Amino acid sequence: MPRRRVALGMWLLCMVLGIAWIARAHYSADLSAFLPASPDTQQRVLIDQLRSGTPARTLLLGIEGGDAARRAEASRDLAGHLRESGRFEQVQNGAYDDAAWQRTGAWLLEHRYQLSPNVAPERFTEAGLRAAIDDTLGLLGTPAGAAVKGTLERDPTGELTALVEGLVPATAPRLEQGVWVSRTQPRALLLLTTRAAGADLDGQAAALQALDAAFARWQAQGLVLRVSGAPLFAVQSREKIQREVVELAVVGTLVMGVLLTVAFASWRALLVAFLPVASGVVAGIVAVSLAFGTVHGITLGFGSTLIGEAVDYAIYYLIQARAGAARGGWRHWLAEGWPTVRLGLLTSVCGFAALVFSGFPGLAQLGVFSVAGLCGAAACTRWVLPVLMPAGAAGSRLRQRLGAAGWRAVRRLPALRWPLRALGIAAAAWLAVHHAAVWRGDLASLSPVSAAAQALDASLRDDLSASDARLMVIAQGASRDAALQAAEAAAPRLEALAAEGVIAGYDSPARLLPSAAVQDARRAALPVRAELARRLDAATAGGPMPAARLAPFLDDVDAARRAPPVTAEGLRSTALGPVVDALLFQGSGAEAPWFALLPLTPSADRRLAVEQVAPALHGLPGVQVLDIKQQLDRLYGRYLHEALLQALLGAAAVVLLLGFYLRSARRLLAVCEPLLFAVLITLSGLAALQLPLGILHLVGLLLVVAVGSNYALFFDQLQVTGNVDDDTLASLLLANATTVVSFGLIGCSSIPALSAIGQVVAPGALLAMLLSACFGRPPR
Amino acid sequence: MRAESTGRRLALMLTVWLALWLGFAGPALALSLPELMGLLAERRSGEARFTEQREVATLSAPLVSSGTLSFEAPDRFVRRTLQPRAETMAVQGNTLTLTRGGKTRQFTLDAAPEMVAIVEAVRGTLTGNAEALQKHFRAQVSGRPEQWSLLLLPLEARLAHQVREIRLDGQRADLRGVTIEMHDGDRSVMQIEPLSAAKP
Repeated sequence: MPRRRVALGMWLLCMVLGIAWIARAHYSADLSAFLPASPDTQQRVLIDQLRSGTPARTLLLGIEGGDAARRAEASRDLAGHLRESGRFEQVQNGAYDDAAWQRTGAWLLEHRYQLSPNVAPERFTEAGLRAAIDDTLGLLGTPAGAAVKGTLERDPTGELTALVEGLVPATAPRLEQGVWVSRTQPRALLLLTTRAAGADLDGQAAALQALDAAFARWQAQGLVLRVSGAPLFAVQSREKIQREVVELAVVGTLVMGVLLTVAFASWRALLVAFLPVASGVVAGIVAVSLAFGTVHGITLGFGSTLIGEAVDYAIYYLIQARAGAARGGWRHWLAEGWPTVRLGLLTSVCGFAALVFSGFPGLAQLGVFSVAGLCGAAACTRWVLPVLMPAGAAGSRLRQRLGAAGWRAVRRLPALRWPLRALGIAAAAWLAVHHAAVWRGDLASLSPVSAAAQALDASLRDDLSASDARLMVIAQGASRDAALQAAEAAAPRLEALAAEGVIAGYDSPARLLPSAAVQDARRAALPVRAELARRLDAATAGGPMPAARLAPFLDDVDAARRAPPVTAEGLRSTALGPVVDALLFQGSGAEAPWFALLPLTPSADRRLAVEQVAPALHGLPGVQVLDIKQQLDRLYGRYLHEALLQALLGAAAVVLLLGFYLRSARRLLAVCEPLLFAVLITLSGLAALQLPLGILHLVGLLLVVAVGSNYALFFDQLQVTGNVDDDTLASLLLANATTVVSFGLIGCSSIPALSAIGQVVAPGALLAMLLSACFGRPPR
Repeated sequence: MRAESTGRRLALMLTVWLALWLGFAGPALALSLPELMGLLAERRSGEARFTEQREVATLSAPLVSSGTLSFEAPDRFVRRTLQPRAETMAVQGNTLTLTRGGKTRQFTLDAAPEMVAIVEAVRGTLTGNAEALQKHFRAQVSGRPEQWSLLLLPLEARLAHQVREIRLDGQRADLRGVTIEMHDGDRSVMQIEPLSAAKP
């Protein structure tokens, strides 16, 4: 007795510690957990971008309703308030007439000799000066002349023009009444970048609240704010996952409670039946939190699936301990029932252990959660339930009826053996023919973002020309400067592509932050004052612009020869800092290389493919082209392939374990056949319903094998012993009912990752049960 | 008497004929914008040589350039400067492609409303698109189909701050001159000599 008290005390202590830990654990909800942990260069850049890059912090806004003037006014007012809030690194609405941009213009003018791509020794020869001055004067007398006129004496060679021309993006939103507007609908546009990092969901949520507060005034006047972007999706997903996990847990508990109440007609039994479930969930969350640092929301949602499996342990115990009450209650169960539960546990653990080694943290979390959760639930059943209810639970009359009905069914079902076998073979054949079309899911199908929200996102991105950058060049280097040099090496090749019209343009951080070598070369290209004055005299002789007026030019070039280089820190004092930070960053990992990103803008009428760009960049070290969509698809393909392999390994481990336990090829075959057919029929059924199947469906199939093996083993026992009491059959039917119901609930979830598992396991577990009963020889 | 009578009759006939002719041509004197646009819209494409002279207050001498112009309805317009330096500005739909100093850059036209207005002044006239013109300018037509003049006054304040007026001159469906008067007194005068004209 004292030893059993110790067990109870230990369990209580573990639960309290576990719950305390859970309260302090970190939770995430972004899709990055479903990205690989050991990527190649392209994938690493992509993942860094998705996880913490500018795309993860960018919000797209549309203001609708009212007339164009009201929307423009609201856009300016909202932008002002958001800038003041300090929560946003960048607030852009097309109006570049504020103080920050004037400072930026002055900064660019001051540093033009370090930044202009035209600064080279030839530029400052007599002929070079003459051509450059003629070029600049050529802009006078045209509408563009107004921009040049003010700085003509300081910048007669037009370096500022050359510099700014490179910075103006090839595609930009439409400007009306001084603010960005949509080309297709009455809508003003804004583009924001939050200060909060992509992973800081609390910070993102606060930024979104600040946004709503700033717009409240306009909302009251009938205008509507439409928001999209990764921060919104992440915050909403987290809320949705949190809400649904709670809802699923509550509904699952209620449904299970009703089932168990009907079956046992005892509050005490009901409470006790939930203990293994609770223990399993606590063990799972703590294990994941310890192993990964954060718990993904989807893992948490997956926790509710454990209700389905862990409650089975309690049902088996309560019923079987009662049945053996005359022969020693829980001791009898320990001898007769526990070995079967233990085997079922071991097969499940084997199945999920394969996931633990997944290269994708999200999948590995599901594995760790399942293994720890099932062990926790089983341990609670083994050591705690006997202390609390040593004699099991009596149960209601329904349970007896369930047992009796079960027997009738079990005796008749084998008649369906051949039709079902035929169905299984047909399913296998169908899958063999259509296998290519079965796994149609992609990474986006894991995203809980609704189709309407995705449509709004696409429309806003289109308006803001933000969807075009599907292709980007990655320039990699060991240092920031090396990455910039690689980017500079790629620039002439990209200029050539732009001249051919293959691309409309490209962006590069080296335009604003040239490498040290380029800055040195440009400085060295500037002649000393006396020499420049001599050449300028000669170059302007007889021209319309006398050299005498260009003294400020001589002053500026002289100052530039002594100016310190442009640095990333210097840039951050301007509105251009975030632009460079977005395109130039240090990667993660041990080597921590630097990356410069050069997004390519496709020409308006062309589809740009990686094959058109890659040959042009051939032979440049550290430079490659990244096709974001293609790479994401490849990533998912690798993910699916790996998961498929792990599922097969897991299934193989289950079969090995069963073979080891059964020690008979015939019995092993008899146990495996219903499982295999259950998997085939479920898979082909879902595929025939045109559901795009993905990785989590695969995880669901693994769960079908893990849960189904318990049923198959039961019927194997039936063959061996020849007879099993009503209560054991009733416990099995009840366990199956709870599993099907709980996974059916999950199948109705609006979180794709959860519904995928539910859609597979609910029919799969039912089929596994039916097929196990059919394929067993009819008992006497 | 007879001779006199014949002479007078002839004179009368001539007068009537002239009056009739003038009378017929009379409404054309007050050429309206829709009529001018209809005239221009008949031409679907064209090519021309141009000479441009710019008078800039800060410069001691005018700037002269020359090259070719071409357009193709509904929305393509190319200005190719050959002298003093090669430079191309091509507009197609909402895209502006600029080739200057060996570099090619594309821009979105409507991202800069002033640019749209200037482009439409020429492109809208060449293609006879009254709607495009009236969106950005108050348009006044004067002259006859044989010698017309279209005065464009910017509606938008930002553009009016830079450009005071644009005057386009032409003969029937041919554009023969574009004068841009800047707000600060600078002006650009372009003379156009049609090279070929596709039949309507």
